[in-house]
Amino acid sequence: MHVEHLKTFGRGGIHPDPHKRATAGLPIEDVPPPMEVRLPLQQHLGDPAVPIVKKGDLVRRGQKIAEGEGTGVPLHASISGKVKPIDRHPHPTLVMAPAIVIARVDDPDLAPLEFPVDPGWRELPREEMLERIREAGVVGLGGAAFPTYRKLQLPPDVRVDTLVVNGAECEPYLTSDYRLMLAEPDAIVEGAVLMARIIGVKRVLFGVESDKRDAARVLAGVIRRLAPDGYEMRVDVVETRYPQGAERQLVAALTGRTIPPRALPYAVGVVVQNVATASAVYDAVCRRRPLLDRVVTVTGPGIAEPRNLRVPLGMLLSELVARCGGITDDATRIIAGGPMMGRALPRLDLPVTKGMNGLVLLTGRGPFEDGYGPCIQCGRCLEVCPLGLEPDQVSVRVEAGKLAETAPYGAEECYECGSCTFVCPSQRPLVQFMQVAKSALRRARDTRSVA
Amino acid sequence: MSEIPAARPRPFVVTPGPHLRVSETTSSIMWWVNASLAPAALWGVVVFGPRAFAVIIASMAGAVAAEWVGTAAMRRRSTVADGSAACTGLLLALTLPPLLPAWAAFLGGAFATLFGKVIFGGLGYNLFNPALIGRAFLMASFPVAMTSGWSNPRPWFGPHLDAVTTPTPLAALKEYGLEAAARLISGPGGVTGLALGFRPGSIGEVSVLLVALGAGVMLARGIIHLTIPLSVFAGTALITSFSGAPLLHLLGGGLWLGAFYMATDYVTSPAMRSGQVVFGLLIGVLTGVIRLWGGYPEGICYAILIANAVVPALNLWFRPRRVVAMGSPS
Repeated sequence: MHVEHLKTFGRGGIHPDPHKRATAGLPIEDVPPPMEVRLPLQQHLGDPAVPIVKKGDLVRRGQKIAEGEGTGVPLHASISGKVKPIDRHPHPTLVMAPAIVIARVDDPDLAPLEFPVDPGWRELPREEMLERIREAGVVGLGGAAFPTYRKLQLPPDVRVDTLVVNGAECEPYLTSDYRLMLAEPDAIVEGAVLMARIIGVKRVLFGVESDKRDAARVLAGVIRRLAPDGYEMRVDVVETRYPQGAERQLVAALTGRTIPPRALPYAVGVVVQNVATASAVYDAVCRRRPLLDRVVTVTGPGIAEPRNLRVPLGMLLSELVARCGGITDDATRIIAGGPMMGRALPRLDLPVTKGMNGLVLLTGRGPFEDGYGPCIQCGRCLEVCPLGLEPDQVSVRVEAGKLAETAPYGAEECYECGSCTFVCPSQRPLVQFMQVAKSALRRARDTRSVA
Repeated sequence: MSEIPAARPRPFVVTPGPHLRVSETTSSIMWWVNASLAPAALWGVVVFGPRAFAVIIASMAGAVAAEWVGTAAMRRRSTVADGSAACTGLLLALTLPPLLPAWAAFLGGAFATLFGKVIFGGLGYNLFNPALIGRAFLMASFPVAMTSGWSNPRPWFGPHLDAVTTPTPLAALKEYGLEAAARLISGPGGVTGLALGFRPGSIGEVSVLLVALGAGVMLARGIIHLTIPLSVFAGTALITSFSGAPLLHLLGGGLWLGAFYMATDYVTSPAMRSGQVVFGLLIGVLTGVIRLWGGYPEGICYAILIANAVVPALNLWFRPRRVVAMGSPS
């Protein structure tokens, strides 16, 4: 019997039930413009965008409505309509934050802006490509929402040799990247080539988990057709194993390189970008099309009709779930993103933001609603931590109030994949213990460096 | 600001991530351990009769009662339902002679949870295996009852033996040498009798096969791994091979119960596999040393208790290897 050895990371990891069947077979559907969108000025890591429209202005879909200042990116109208007073509104992560609200107006004069292909797009200089990516408001669409132009602008002394394109999608339930790889492989590959040119590498490695082999085949076919001369481009099927899609784990699987603690991938010569980001980069460079929509998987046992939807940014989750047959009576939890690293939301009157790759409605009681028990030293967390950290040791020291003593057990290196918490039989919130220790250690270090 | 129809009887629950977890809990693990011990316990009752049943019930009742009283005294949420106290009581009972008075078994169970676990702060904080603390207490307090309470298998099972009270094979080995022990297990049963439990012994140790079956259930469910038991067997075999009867030592006494059920207790064993190998070998070697040159025919109980004391050190020495940088990009 031939046993296939898939590439993967070295230690740890878990195999949660994938729960992808409900939406894996569903092509992406376009959502028609909703009656209203709320576009928070802060949807990315960096400085918030600064409004350039005011109450009463009429805007067309695609028009810039806020300028990207400092480390931020601009924001664009995702529907045509009339700007309402700029005010603070509920925000998925910031609780309340300023947002531009646009009420839909159906008027031939307000037709969406057109973004024809720029014939010379393949020959643009590097700076112009970066500027188009920034101007289009492109951020990392895998969830982190870090401005893409900044991730592609490496410090001058840094040499990289590889672009890793992340199509792993290791979070349970989510299928938005999978469906995008099937729907827009050309845009993804073209976008990857553009990014490779920007960072000056000719080696582009795509990582796709083994439960999405058809997507890997489609990408490989497009690569054969589109890869420029002299480029080493390939798709690696990686083991379906959480957290395979985390930067450290994917880089380890595809290149064998280990990113040092607290360093970024470029420390080992790699830049990592998500497949959806690659597609958005292609749109931005080739036709200056701003980021107006994103693909969201709406799924979980708490939704009537799970779907993969292309959603105008700023659309309210309440309308989004209504498009999916509404939530079931027993839905108890709304998760923005995947259920492992996503965030529970308290309400549905929140907008879809650039980093929201999924909306998972769960039923039943959550992991921590019944409290948690003492550490019984079973060692499961030690076995699954992909970094070899010691969540058990950190957790008992945080419980004892000995925050300074958590340092030797790696609290600061934790990127919160949640594998430890997933397996803990005592249902201990280990990720939260790690967060508490991490912020205390960072505070202590900052204080020392100031003193 | 348009209001969104958020009319909903119950608010959505906001808890930190991850929002998924395995279905396994500490409590489910403990009850699986209990369930996997049931065949061996029931077989003990079949072989030794109602006295053995009384010992099991009394020991479990003592352990659960002490847990309840202990948590109430500390004004903590009762942890009786998590099954760990019942498990302590059951494990203790399986190490006891079937003719031990029930009140002594009750006392042993109560001592096991109270002084083996509760005074350390409850589940997760104890240094020593509570069931073995209970057994050590009974050995110190009621030495005669603990070493002479062996019963023959009931007459319709197994080989007939002369006295009502006989030594266990290991005790015979200790006192009278290999030949006496061999005589004790020869006859119709032989080594098969040793494996099936048609021989004198403590309630749960008599059937190595049923202990193995329960261990198999725990292995299949991923509750325990083979690391510790195999290391224990390796250590025991190494030392007892000097005696010329390693097989008798491996199949006799409480070695299987100890290796699969006592030494694998999460709280009192090392967290890392590497530490577990050292821990298991230490137990095996100490068991052999005690059996061959010590004062007791059995050795596993004290071997595990001694090894328990080394666990904090093993946890310091054997830690996961951090995933670190491999140097500059190639």
